Amino acid sequence: MKRERVLVAMSGGVDSSVAAALLVEQGYDVVGATMKLFCHGDEVPDRPCCSLDSINDARRVCQQLGVPHYVLNLESAFGRDVVDDFVSEYARGRTPIPCVRCNTFTKFRDLVRKADAIDASFVATGHYARVIGGELHRGVDHSKDQSYFLWGIDRDVLSRMILPVGAQTKAETRAVARRLGLTVIAEKVESQDICFVPDGDHTKVIRRKLGAEAPALSRGPFMLSNGTVIGEHDGYARFTIGQRRGVPGGFREPMFVVAIRPEDRAVVIGPRAELLGRGLIAREVNWLSQPCLVGTRLSVQVRHRAAPAAGELIRNDGDEIEIALDEPVAAITPGQSVVLYDGARVLGGGIIESARGARASLPVLAA
Amino acid sequence: MPDPIYLDHAATTPVRAEVLEAMAPFYGPRFGNPSSLHRWGREARVALDEARERLAGCLGARSEEICFTSGGTEADNLAILGVWRARRAEGRNAVVSTPIEHKAVLGAVHQASKEGAQERLCRVTRDGEVDVASFDALMTSDVAVASVMWVNNEIGTVQPVQELAALAKARGALFHTDAVQAFGKVEVDARRTPFDALSISGHKIGAPKGCGAIYVRRGTVLESLFHGGTQERGKRPGTENVAFAVGLSKAAELACEDRGAECARLLALRDRLERGIRDRVPDAVIHGSGARERAPHIVNVSVPGTDTESMLMALDLQGIGCSGGSACQSGSSSPSHVLSAIGVPRDLVGSAIRMSLGAMSDEASVDRVVDVFARLVNKARGLAGVSA
Repeated sequence: MKRERVLVAMSGGVDSSVAAALLVEQGYDVVGATMKLFCHGDEVPDRPCCSLDSINDARRVCQQLGVPHYVLNLESAFGRDVVDDFVSEYARGRTPIPCVRCNTFTKFRDLVRKADAIDASFVATGHYARVIGGELHRGVDHSKDQSYFLWGIDRDVLSRMILPVGAQTKAETRAVARRLGLTVIAEKVESQDICFVPDGDHTKVIRRKLGAEAPALSRGPFMLSNGTVIGEHDGYARFTIGQRRGVPGGFREPMFVVAIRPEDRAVVIGPRAELLGRGLIAREVNWLSQPCLVGTRLSVQVRHRAAPAAGELIRNDGDEIEIALDEPVAAITPGQSVVLYDGARVLGGGIIESARGARASLPVLAA
Repeated sequence: MPDPIYLDHAATTPVRAEVLEAMAPFYGPRFGNPSSLHRWGREARVALDEARERLAGCLGARSEEICFTSGGTEADNLAILGVWRARRAEGRNAVVSTPIEHKAVLGAVHQASKEGAQERLCRVTRDGEVDVASFDALMTSDVAVASVMWVNNEIGTVQPVQELAALAKARGALFHTDAVQAFGKVEVDARRTPFDALSISGHKIGAPKGCGAIYVRRGTVLESLFHGGTQERGKRPGTENVAFAVGLSKAAELACEDRGAECARLLALRDRLERGIRDRVPDAVIHGSGARERAPHIVNVSVPGTDTESMLMALDLQGIGCSGGSACQSGSSSPSHVLSAIGVPRDLVGSAIRMSLGAMSDEASVDRVVDVFARLVNKARGLAGVSA
């Protein structure tokens, strides 16, 4: 019997290595691939991901598993689809999630084309999420769940997608790595950084692309929402909604970034009450299920690791949707993703365009 | 799956049995240091001297003109940086080369430029040959060294080394040629071609990786890259790798003995391969095919509507090993600087596949490659139509 071929995206880390190993055990014809997505040159000598070390780790794991391994140079596509967008979003005063675009454009579109080229019916990754009956679900290990980052993929890719570690906990993944003797990677430290921002300072990437004089990295006013200027910051790209670090003190209550206005470079700060939103508008909407009808009750997640909030779809214009939230939610941030769930099942998502302060009512019911 | 087919002899070759056998004693009883005065040292010294003589014989050289190195890259660096550093003081500060050189040469030229040299790269033709008039125009009286490869490693074009060497010498410049792909494929004879320095590499001709040699014509002054003892007449200090010197000489001798017959065999295989590809994929572009002369072992082909990376993966999964442009350390392929330099359009640069024939190639393997290649091309184009 001809075994089905699966192209596994391997970062050299424990999750994707175990994913490949499990697929080998399950009898698939596994082909490993590490995507080379960017090159820092000499700038960052020791980076945790996409480095030569990571590629070498992935290659060694494949050698141990007895499967071929390739390095795919996706630098130019990744630069265009992910890094350029990352920079321009910050320039617009927003807080992007490059991993979402990487999944959408790079892992589950460019990589799928490579899979086609080698007759691989499936693509697999080490994401903590599950595909059940052609639908995307949260990973079993809720503390590691990565379904939030996957809402943007093409719906028809779901039927070709295998997420082998999504059905287990991180501890189980590490245990599998040890059981299979994948000692190189079993105890590897997990990276929390954005892969192309290895030292956690995203302004370096912005500076490299836009120059040190870019408005997003230049001085601007800290102000209150009533317009009172209360200080100066050194670049609005250093801030995100809900941030406290770097915000002027001396107020009776803790102050947070509540808005970023690139037009006058203003970082608006305010007390917690001003952070709360009762709804949001999202664009670039993508559905991984039948598109929801207005009035559908939803479990709404506005940030990675944020608790899902109850809400309702109150407008659906195709590319743009509006959601009303039952209870106020803090720090709804333009550029972040809103992901819509039905329990553990991902219905779809979009990029947050703006938060709504007051709860909008559902027009149909209001009429 | 049928037996795998190795079609990447320009990348490296397996060590020949005769070579391994010749080296074996130096990993056993004849382990001595050639600089030692005792019997073990003498044994090693004699073997090293013999190896040097035999290699010199293969190159039409004198024994003292041969210096063993760690490979082609070191030989290229020693020739370019060594000569330029030695001659810059006499007012010769320019280095002339071509944009289609191997990275070992280009890297050395760039390094010289970083240290203050004037770097000049001459024009090349669309057929992948050095533009002789352009080379001549750059060859002014301030040139320390000119370096032009004999056979291009990506497309196999043979450069007019005879003519270029004469032009360089007429202006008092030293002429170096990287003959890593040429040796064993074209006649390399220091008595007939007036090069001053020439690089060869062991692993391209059936010796191990990590060995090579540089020929340096008598009277040529160059600065060593390393500093230490007086081994290799001070050109290359460090205890000599006797086994590798012996292995390299053995491989070189075999390559010279076989050259006529092997080139005829490879040429027939190359023609068969190219004919097969052209028959099955009529719009395939074979780079450098318009050149006056091409080495018999390299075919570099682009097919519109395919991409190098996917084709290399798909070929490998069918058991066929080829290569793309210049491979980087990560193992990913990047667009070829050679094809870009000779004006190949971007999409064709991005679909180039280098197939290189050698000892492990035969008619049956060539026929299978043609068949698999053509099928993969058709499939890739079908897919490109669907996903575009």
